[in-house]
Amino acid sequence: MRSDIPDNDKIRVRLFAILREKVGEREITITVPTGITVNHLNNEILNKYPQLKSFSNKFIISVNCKVTTGNTIITSKDEIALLPPVSGG
Amino acid sequence: MISITNKHLSLQDIMCELEDNSAGALSIFIGNVRNRGRSGNVSEIHYEAYSKMAEEKMREIENEAQTKWGIKKLVAIHRIGNLKVGETSIIIGVSSEHRHEAFEACKYIINNVKTRVPIWKKEISKDSQKWADGFLLE
Repeated sequence: MRSDIPDNDKIRVRLFAILREKVGEREITITVPTGITVNHLNNEILNKYPQLKSFSNKFIISVNCKVTTGNTIITSKDEIALLPPVSGG
Repeated sequence: MISITNKHLSLQDIMCELEDNSAGALSIFIGNVRNRGRSGNVSEIHYEAYSKMAEEKMREIENEAQTKWGIKKLVAIHRIGNLKVGETSIIIGVSSEHRHEAFEACKYIINNVKTRVPIWKKEISKDSQKWADGFLLE
């Protein structure tokens, strides 16, 4: 195996509400280099699913059920979700 | 008791959960589906939740209310799925020693559930479907 090829992680991302409808899936998988941040994942998602670009400032990314900063490093073991503005009650 | 459920909400069951001989006050908020929404007439509402995170956030809000008002017991149940006009989507119940704590805690909990818990609603009418505007989580 060549050592100069970076390892990749398959990150599973759950989608909810209008974002789920726009993509047509409850969960998507994004292949990214190991050790990426939430911000990097966000860019990868928008590149792969351009229909979400108009919502890019209208959702947050949760990691393991917590709202996190864009600098948080994620792995394939983390539970990731895209959450549009909430409206329960 | 905190729960996200797709089952009918029973006020009777919730009253039983709140029973506490040291509580002299019991405050309950009931949220129902109404026939008008921001987009006009509504025939039903579809509720969707990220249940695991929603229950965690509701427990966090419960702990805050417990710290602020020292309530005795709390029940917060949100229903998901398709609910018709008149059906109950949420019940918040609080028992406490005196009425002030029960009123304030109940109001605090419903206000925070609306803005901090990952639950979404889509208003459905005969001619259209529209996700409600909401609050971006912080």
